[in-house]
Amino acid sequence: MDNEAGKNNKVPFEEDNYTHNIHKNNERQLDRRGFLKTMVGAAGVFAVSTLPWGGLAAKELMGFGQSSHPKKKIADVQALKVGEAVEFHYPGDHESALLIRLGDNKYKAYQNACTHLKCPVFWSREEDQLVCPCHHGFFDPQSGKPTAGPPRRALPEVVVEIEGGAIYATGVKRYET
Amino acid sequence: MKRSYRGVILLSVVLFLNIVCTQYVVNHYFHEKYELVLVFALLNVLLFPLALWIYKKEVRR
Repeated sequence: MDNEAGKNNKVPFEEDNYTHNIHKNNERQLDRRGFLKTMVGAAGVFAVSTLPWGGLAAKELMGFGQSSHPKKKIADVQALKVGEAVEFHYPGDHESALLIRLGDNKYKAYQNACTHLKCPVFWSREEDQLVCPCHHGFFDPQSGKPTAGPPRRALPEVVVEIEGGAIYATGVKRYET
Repeated sequence: MKRSYRGVILLSVVLFLNIVCTQYVVNHYFHEKYELVLVFALLNVLLFPLALWIYKKEVRR
């Protein structure tokens, strides 16, 4: 029994399990104050996470973002008859687009990924419409707006220019809702 | 000592506003409305000092 007293009278029995090592003062790590601290930290994380978006927006506003639309030749005027269409890629190599010659001097170009589920839209001369074969979506060739089917947003228009008997793509119109 | 949930509720409101602002930042970015992106990003940043202020006020009480 002297052996027990030698343990400073604080450990009353042999410590053979680990359930007695909880100190009441520190056992609750997440009290209300700790929880508040976590919430403030989360607010800080939100604040930091929006900084890149702000930076990108500032970059666009200062006009560094426009250089991503290079001028690109699509086709020669002679090669494209009225009522015909040609496929090209603009602005990137993986973004397909469609140029339609609607009249002698009337050209319209759209990025031809359907605004429903990105199927490629093609030009149907017989129906005088842009047709998405996946779910029968139809688009007006004059404006790119959907006329029937599941798509609800207009196709993004590619700006074209005629220069020296060739047709050039010079930009993509800003998306408007 | 009576418990008070005022700080927790106020900070919950701040975090909710954070979520809303972040969502607006991303959506306005993809709609290319860059001025609004800056407005909401700034709002989101300003919410952090507000949260800190609420926390300090609660601790002092």
